[in-house]
Amino acid sequence: MRIRGLAIAALLIVAVSTASGCRKHRETVKADPLLAAYDSEPDWNDSTKMVSLGYEQAQGKRVFYQYCVWCHAEATPAGPSNRSNLTPVPPLLADGSTLNAQSDNYLETIITLGGSAMGKSAMMPPYGRTLSPEEIRSVIAFTRAIAQPPYQPPGRPGSQYSPK
Amino acid sequence: MPAEEMGKVTDRMRLVFAVSSLIFLAVLAISPFKDYQREWKQYKRSYLRFAQVRPDTKRLTADYSPDIDQIWLPGMNVVDRCTTCHQGITQASLADRSVPQPFRAHPPIPHNVREWGCTICHRGQGPSTEVAEAHTSTLAWEQPVLPTHFIQASCGTCHQSDLPQAPQLARGRRLLAEFNCQGCHKMQGIERPAMLGPDLSSIGTKVSREWIYKWLKEPRTMVDKDGNVTVNGYETEEAPRMPKFRLTETELRALTAYLSVQKAKPIRRYGISPAVVAAWSKNPELISQGELRFRQMFCTTCHSLAVMRAGETKLIGGDIGPELTKVGSKVNPDWLIAWLRDPEGYLPHTRMPRYGWSDEDLYKVTQYITTKLVDSDLLRDVPELDPPTDAEIQLGRRLFTEKGCASCHVLEGLSPQKEFGPDLSAFGGKNASELEFGGAKIPHNLVSYIQAKLEDPASVNPASRMPQYNWNQADLDAVSTALLSMKGPPPTSAFENLVVPRKESSFRPAGSFADLYERYKCYTCHQFSGYGGDLAPDLTYEGSRAQRQWLVEFLKSPQTLRPTLILRMPQFNMSDKDAATLADYISTVLQHPAVNPATTDAKQFTPAMATLGKQLYEVKFQCQSCHTIGGSGGYVGPNLNNAGAWLTPAWIEAWLRNPQALVPDSIEPRRNFTDEEITALTAYLLSLRAASKPQKTAFRTGAMASGQGAGR
Repeated sequence: MRIRGLAIAALLIVAVSTASGCRKHRETVKADPLLAAYDSEPDWNDSTKMVSLGYEQAQGKRVFYQYCVWCHAEATPAGPSNRSNLTPVPPLLADGSTLNAQSDNYLETIITLGGSAMGKSAMMPPYGRTLSPEEIRSVIAFTRAIAQPPYQPPGRPGSQYSPK
Repeated sequence: MPAEEMGKVTDRMRLVFAVSSLIFLAVLAISPFKDYQREWKQYKRSYLRFAQVRPDTKRLTADYSPDIDQIWLPGMNVVDRCTTCHQGITQASLADRSVPQPFRAHPPIPHNVREWGCTICHRGQGPSTEVAEAHTSTLAWEQPVLPTHFIQASCGTCHQSDLPQAPQLARGRRLLAEFNCQGCHKMQGIERPAMLGPDLSSIGTKVSREWIYKWLKEPRTMVDKDGNVTVNGYETEEAPRMPKFRLTETELRALTAYLSVQKAKPIRRYGISPAVVAAWSKNPELISQGELRFRQMFCTTCHSLAVMRAGETKLIGGDIGPELTKVGSKVNPDWLIAWLRDPEGYLPHTRMPRYGWSDEDLYKVTQYITTKLVDSDLLRDVPELDPPTDAEIQLGRRLFTEKGCASCHVLEGLSPQKEFGPDLSAFGGKNASELEFGGAKIPHNLVSYIQAKLEDPASVNPASRMPQYNWNQADLDAVSTALLSMKGPPPTSAFENLVVPRKESSFRPAGSFADLYERYKCYTCHQFSGYGGDLAPDLTYEGSRAQRQWLVEFLKSPQTLRPTLILRMPQFNMSDKDAATLADYISTVLQHPAVNPATTDAKQFTPAMATLGKQLYEVKFQCQSCHTIGGSGGYVGPNLNNAGAWLTPAWIEAWLRNPQALVPDSIEPRRNFTDEEITALTAYLLSLRAASKPQKTAFRTGAMASGQGAGR
């Protein structure tokens, strides 16, 4: 009898432990959008809101604030913007209503070859020999991240598929 | 035992065996199912289903295998199975944010994921195959994933030199040096600056015991009625470097007693000529004239003053020297005069230049400072302090070392205690179990610990000797990033060649130039061969850029060349001889190897070339979008009104060819000019001369925006 009791107990333990497995309480990583961001940028229209940036966008921010901010922002780190001196007035970087309509390719070309190459004002100088292609693409990525109204990438397969 | 009974037992045993076999079979059937249901296998299968609906299924599933994927880098001790679930990490077409995790591609970074693995940067447990175990810390696995906000710490683990791609890390490292953290802690890759806190050997000649008491008690909130933590009562971006120590009344009295008797070098009194005093002391213009001189000498380039702007009091000015709003109530007037005449006489390592003062200027400015820059309420809360007793002085002397004052401040005969604070050189790799959290109600991980400790050291350890600093959140995050980056030596010796040592100054001028360089402290604002401040243009190659005569005139009467920049170069009241010595040295020694004056001669340029150049400038290239000539044009580059007298022909040509070869971080775009275009533009620029001396920019404190690095 004792043997049978032991055998059943052993079997039950094996069965229960196998069935329940070693499933553990699952913890989730804290999902603060800014903690998950490489860098952040205040929303240009509402400085209390922060836009979180990934690595490439953060590199674009760095390039923008070194090379582009002087003409494509309302204020610069050194004071007043150069925008008011220029005709035609250059678009603000966050101006989605102008820039969202342009493809990444178009923006890349105009930054690389300058405004005159694309039939626009020669006041926009070419940066293809100063910035690397990666840097130029990163600036475009930054533009897209802070665009108002928000930028919707065209032609992406809109799959809502999610693994769970 | 009878056979019959034996048979019965056997039957029962058979039944038991039958039942147990059935259970065993069921268990056997369950375990493949359980295996099939494992977390990582679910992700594997859902990746396949996910890839099916993408247009580039074939490429996405080219290297798919149903097993665990692993990046194994024995040389770096990396066993990363992260790609088991994060399967799209190298697929460029999955970079979009609409792609669900864990399949999204890694954003482009300078490193290849396959070569470096994941945990070197992101931490977490590489060998684990469950979501929670891989990302969070458990009893067995102690490295949680590093929040992306602090990810730049991982760059700093291998790259000791500053990376432009990791600004937060660079800022954190700079703050660690600025805040003298290495005064008490041993840290990796952070140098101890030449001067930490001020030398206190003669502090007793400068300030009163009461002032020291006030300063030690509340270094930051000397005037604070609303309970706001502000610097000397004013909102400022710059955090002050002197932290707040938790001192008892006895300790305060002892330290103030000890410091107030420090008079190693007595003041060398200077008598301002009685004629000057007689002429000015009764003059109602005295104070306003003093203020004018104070501004004309550009004291606010380095020092800040509290100014009312739109109903708010703000500190306006530089942060190289101390804030001066109430300095008249702080320092001894005799000390002030002696200091202004010869700063090095009091503080050998000071960055304050020695101006050429006339008695009249000295009298006016010191009268302005001691009359206007005062606050009669400054020492209101300080109890009456009697002359220091011997016992107080003895205790103060002991406390000066014990409290860590000697770690930052120099005082005759006292040396800092060795290893005063814990060694932090491998602190960034510590596990939560190695940290003492005390009663602090914070998550038990390294990031939370660092932030809590920096914000209030007593929160995790009430007995901590560490004083309290006043950081804003951005600085706190930057310093945390720098601390997290210190994980000891880089992973293995094979990768040490990645580690670039920090730059040392190779610029050691000699002779009469060196004396003037020291006297005017050029390096406080300007860079020379990688050494010096960043407030003003880098002068390493100034001799190639500027014409000698222009340099002489500039040194005697500085002008600003950029419309948006406020002139910050002080007028040193330099003699003709000093200006000539400096200009001679600059134009002969500070030469760029790629700029050869012999290749161009101003005479070779014809008026026809200049006409063509003007057309190119205005129409084809539209340089006026950034540069100003004659009052119209942009604010981005320097104005070119006087380019013909300012720039050398060789510099203009070399600059047009490739600006970044001369100034690597210049924002002037490098164009594809032809040789003819370069010659024409150079001829045009050389023809530009200012008709008369341009008016000096009026001094406006309000526009003291930082244009650092922008140069001229």
